[in-house]
Amino acid sequence: MATPRHLLLLLALALAPLLAVAAAEGAAEEGPRGRRLLVLLDDLAVRSSHSAFFGSLQARGFDLDFRLADDPKLSLHRYGQYLYDGLVLFAPSTPRFGGSVDQNAVLEFIDAGHDMILAADSSASDLIRGIATECGVDFDEDPEAMVVDHINYAVTDVDGDHTLIAGDDLIQSDVILGSKKIEAPVLFRGIGHAVNPSNNLVLKVLSASPSAYSANPKTKLASPPSLTGSAISLVSVMQARNNARVLVSGSLDLFSNRFLKSGVQKAGSKKRYERAGNEQFVTETSKWVFHERGHLKAVNVKHHKVGETNEPGMYRINDDLEYSVEIYEWSGTSWKPYVADDVQLQFFMMSPYVLKTMSTDKKGLYSISFKVPDVYGVFQFKVEYQRLGYTGLSFTKQIPVRPYRHNEYERFITSAYPYYTASFSSMGAFFIFSFVYLYHK
Amino acid sequence: MPRATSDAKLLIQSLSNAYAATPTNLKIIDLYVICAVATALIQVAYMGLVGSFPFNSFLSGVLSCIGTAVLAVCLRIQVNKDNKEFKDLPPERAFADFVLCNLVLHLVIMNFLG
Amino acid sequence: MAEPVSSAAASGGGRLRNAFGGVLCAFTLLLIGVVAFSIRLFSVIKYESVIHEFDPYFNFRVTQFLSKNGIYEFWNWFDDRTWYPLGRVIGGTVYPGLTLTAGTMWWLVNALNIPLSVETVCVFTAPIFSANASWATYLLTKEAKGTGAGLMAAAILAMVPSYISRSVAGSYDNEAVAIFALIFTFYLYVKTLNTGSLFYATLNALSYFYMVCSWGGYTFIINLIPMHVLLCIVTGRYSSRLYIAYAPLVILGTLLAALVPVVGFNAVMTSEHFASFLVFIILHVVALVYYIKGLLTPRLFKVAMTLVISVGLAVCFAVVAVLVALVASSPTKGWSGRSLSLLDPTYASKYIPIIASVSEHQPPTWPSYFMDINVLAFLIPAGIISCFLPLSDASSFMVLYLVTAVYFSGVMVRLMLVLAPAACILSGIALSEVFGVLTRSIKFQLSKLFDDSSAAVSASGDSGPESSTNSTKSENRNEKSETAPKEKPSKKNRKKEKEVAESVPVKPKKEKRLLVLPFELSIMGILLLIVLGGFYVVHCVWAAAEAYSAPSIVLTSRSRDGLHVFDDFREAYAWLSHNTDVDDKVASWWDYGYQTTAMANRTVIVDNNTWNNTHIATVGTAMSSPEKAAWEIFNSLDVKYVLVVFGGLVGYPSDDINKFLWMVRIGGGVFPHIKEPDYLRDGQYRVDAQATPTMLNCLMYKLCYYRFVETDGKGFDRVRGYEIGKKHFKLTHFEEVFTTHHWMVRIYKLKPQKNRVRGKLKKLKSNAKTSSTLVAGRKKNPWQ
Repeated sequence: MATPRHLLLLLALALAPLLAVAAAEGAAEEGPRGRRLLVLLDDLAVRSSHSAFFGSLQARGFDLDFRLADDPKLSLHRYGQYLYDGLVLFAPSTPRFGGSVDQNAVLEFIDAGHDMILAADSSASDLIRGIATECGVDFDEDPEAMVVDHINYAVTDVDGDHTLIAGDDLIQSDVILGSKKIEAPVLFRGIGHAVNPSNNLVLKVLSASPSAYSANPKTKLASPPSLTGSAISLVSVMQARNNARVLVSGSLDLFSNRFLKSGVQKAGSKKRYERAGNEQFVTETSKWVFHERGHLKAVNVKHHKVGETNEPGMYRINDDLEYSVEIYEWSGTSWKPYVADDVQLQFFMMSPYVLKTMSTDKKGLYSISFKVPDVYGVFQFKVEYQRLGYTGLSFTKQIPVRPYRHNEYERFITSAYPYYTASFSSMGAFFIFSFVYLYHK
Repeated sequence: MPRATSDAKLLIQSLSNAYAATPTNLKIIDLYVICAVATALIQVAYMGLVGSFPFNSFLSGVLSCIGTAVLAVCLRIQVNKDNKEFKDLPPERAFADFVLCNLVLHLVIMNFLG
Repeated sequence: MAEPVSSAAASGGGRLRNAFGGVLCAFTLLLIGVVAFSIRLFSVIKYESVIHEFDPYFNFRVTQFLSKNGIYEFWNWFDDRTWYPLGRVIGGTVYPGLTLTAGTMWWLVNALNIPLSVETVCVFTAPIFSANASWATYLLTKEAKGTGAGLMAAAILAMVPSYISRSVAGSYDNEAVAIFALIFTFYLYVKTLNTGSLFYATLNALSYFYMVCSWGGYTFIINLIPMHVLLCIVTGRYSSRLYIAYAPLVILGTLLAALVPVVGFNAVMTSEHFASFLVFIILHVVALVYYIKGLLTPRLFKVAMTLVISVGLAVCFAVVAVLVALVASSPTKGWSGRSLSLLDPTYASKYIPIIASVSEHQPPTWPSYFMDINVLAFLIPAGIISCFLPLSDASSFMVLYLVTAVYFSGVMVRLMLVLAPAACILSGIALSEVFGVLTRSIKFQLSKLFDDSSAAVSASGDSGPESSTNSTKSENRNEKSETAPKEKPSKKNRKKEKEVAESVPVKPKKEKRLLVLPFELSIMGILLLIVLGGFYVVHCVWAAAEAYSAPSIVLTSRSRDGLHVFDDFREAYAWLSHNTDVDDKVASWWDYGYQTTAMANRTVIVDNNTWNNTHIATVGTAMSSPEKAAWEIFNSLDVKYVLVVFGGLVGYPSDDINKFLWMVRIGGGVFPHIKEPDYLRDGQYRVDAQATPTMLNCLMYKLCYYRFVETDGKGFDRVRGYEIGKKHFKLTHFEEVFTTHHWMVRIYKLKPQKNRVRGKLKKLKSNAKTSSTLVAGRKKNPWQ
């Protein structure tokens, strides 16, 4: 029996969440990345076996779309717009993607500025290996190989199985791994990969210990393995030039519920940890990958002459000018001022004529004032800021610098006074002379 | 040597005698020329001491003095009654040309000075 | 009895004839001006009113800026759209004469509410000033030899092909006004020399100032005039008029030259001006010597001389030693590169490849003399002889001018232009002398024929053959004009009629025997000379119409199906201006820099000013390097687009592949890893299958011949005449964005840096093969 009062109450109850959401949407700031993730699996069972990881993602506000990797209706974009903002590839053994997705489509997705988490294991197909190589990560070419470590393995029930690694050689970066140190080792079972040391876009997040090597665990070693020691990377990240981030892990089990919840004891050590470091590790790295941490933006580039407020189109040599820029960092929910003491400004024309560290007011404003050099030309205000784990800031502003105008020099030069007097005296002498000459008798 | 000195004395004497015979207006012009050249030499000496920093001022100062000297010499040539080529030229016309040229010279000097 | 009456009547008639002669002279001059103007309009008629070549586009852009922003902004203009990132201070590096002249004309015309655009004024500046130049030639030759020679020389200059080549309508370059300034300065100098008036000396200095503003060739004036003064002194022709002509010019001229920012202190510090100061000092010494000579007796004068010489020589040596030390301490001995290459023709090819690479700086071939000054080449020697009978200051100046001009024109083909006025003047003098002799002979013979009894008829001032009395000013008018054809050469004949033999009598009356030739010979002579003149005119008109009217920005060719027009350059510049951002930088070889900034309005890296050799060498190195190295160089210069000119499809011979060796040489001059022999096979420059790998891999080859094989399947290059070497290749660091209709201009964009850096593993061949080896059982159970 619905009386008008009850109806009104129902209506209010129905609308309230909407209003709340609307209010929340309005109040919440727009982060640098969207919230729609496509999760590609080669076996739907992975959805439940890795539910803890997926649940943590959903708790942070992501909308996950689970699909089979060879789903014929798979598509990353429609009518020119991308349908998703990030990709989680937990399909190591897929030989081919379905629908309109293939290796090139995935790479274009990354080049369009979207992030990806890629997990492989010993059944990794050539497709997955190819994607990883395009991102700068080379898996071991031997398809049967796994990472084996006879010294730093995790103790398990199966004796002699040294493929379960307890990795604790983590990268030293608070940005990537969070401010809280990961105490427990991270459990890993899978294939190893190498990164090119001259490639400055790729970083090793979790490296193997010096005693690890990558080989087939079931057969005897015929020849020395190609990948050994700390050169083996277990988990790597790549930050492309357009700041798209890719996490490549050689083990799908790293993310599984089993590893997240199990305890770990390193072989040869007495300490047993109740919880492996996997949960903290995957949470923090996924936060970094999806740009919830370590994302900088620079806005409001301003420059003007000291004492003025408008931005001139051209400076003059030996002018005094001020330059300022605001840099913010995304904290996961809002833009916070970025505080650092190493942001530098270059006044650049084929080489930096002025290179100064900018001072900050701790609220995100970086400013510097300097004198324009004594050279004219077309200069650039150049800021190149690349710091480990942070997005790269690289922006320039072109500004010409002109020489003195003809009336901007010193008006009267003291050492030239004799010349001035001589010239005027010759004028005067001419005047007197003409009088004398004309009127003498 | 005594021959040379006596020759020199004779030379100077005859020179000054011949010069005394020139008309007054030419002598005035000669005085003017000597003043101008002297000023120019003073400036060159000053430049040698101090250096040539505002070179354009130095050039305009020196060239203004030398310029007035040269123009005065031109006037002297045109006004000199001994000069056969210019006997048709009225001295007023010569003076007017002289004034015009000086005007142009000093205008340019003022422009170049600073 | 009859004599006074007839003489009175004759004098009255003489005044009338003088007036008639004056009007005829003025009318003839007007017609000469019209001829000079209209003969240069062929390119406007055949193509359109457009600015030609490369340099005029820069001058046009500067004039546009001047008309829009006024003179103070122009004076202080810092151009940031060229020579990126160095910029160029226009105010201090450009000769302002041309732009100020055209700007003034435009302002004047617009102030009178005649709405001419800046472009129209710029296109027609050159013909207007060539008319002025002919009138100045008339004045100059009149000072040397009289009105008849003046008119003749003016008519010849109006049409001479060498001058036409640099002053057609649309050739908006410095020489257009500079030649007028040159002739006018020389006229004022000769006038001052002849009259000794300080007024003309002032005007001379001002005209010299205009010349300094207009062209770098002003050094020719400031060296020729001192040479002439020295010549006069040495040949004993010193006079006070010489002093008045030269001394104020040096002072005022140096000051005025120093006022122009381009010249600045070079007016007193470079070796090009030392000659004038040296002769200034010498002149003063000579003047002083003459003055003292006038004061003293000869014996005393000798004594003074010995005294002075002994002292003076010592001082002289000291000064000269100081000067020589100063000059020798500078590596180029104080001369600028261009002047040195004039004095030593091999200098540029050894040390400054940029100067050597310009085609205008090559020595001329013998046929180009005939092409450019035609018939005058034969008349010049006659003119030289005529100048010596009698020799005056003015005619000695003409001869000196001609001799120096001939030398310099032999060094650089561009300086044929300076030879042209000298050639015209001397030919005019020669022709007028010849006509004078021939017509005098005819008159005399005719008068003898008609009335050989009374020589009294010829008493009315007939300059008879036996004697000439210089007091008679009136000339006998020849009523009968032998030839009255209506073509242009008739003008020359008419003015020969009224030629007044009133060469200013410097020497006292002397009896001269004048030459008289037989009647038939004279008639034949006149007819033949008129035919010669006719050939000259026909050649000039042909040269103006066919050879020198090409705007070089639009090309045409005739084929079976009519006229083809190649407007590729403007197509490319229009594409650039519409499809790129305002701040995008375009790199090309320096030839096209001015046109790109003026028409496409984009920033360029190097342009035709060629003031910075290292920058040009950087671009040259980039063009000669493989793709990756070239990308690095261009990226460091913030270049976005690269432009190349390619003529292989249509047969356009002045394309970048033909200029490529100069890029290698200039680049190799600064960056030693570029070596010219790497690009040559057995010393020969080839781009076919025999070419060296360095050549086939360099950026210029790739950008020119990318996809060229698609045009005809074989890649046959019409300019080089063979098939190219590497036909199928891809570009890795550049992408093609535009190719014009006839493939003449090709524009490429630099690809941005790759987003990801690839790992080391090789790309896998096919996924299909591996998928078949994959067994379903490989999928691991995620629960374990």
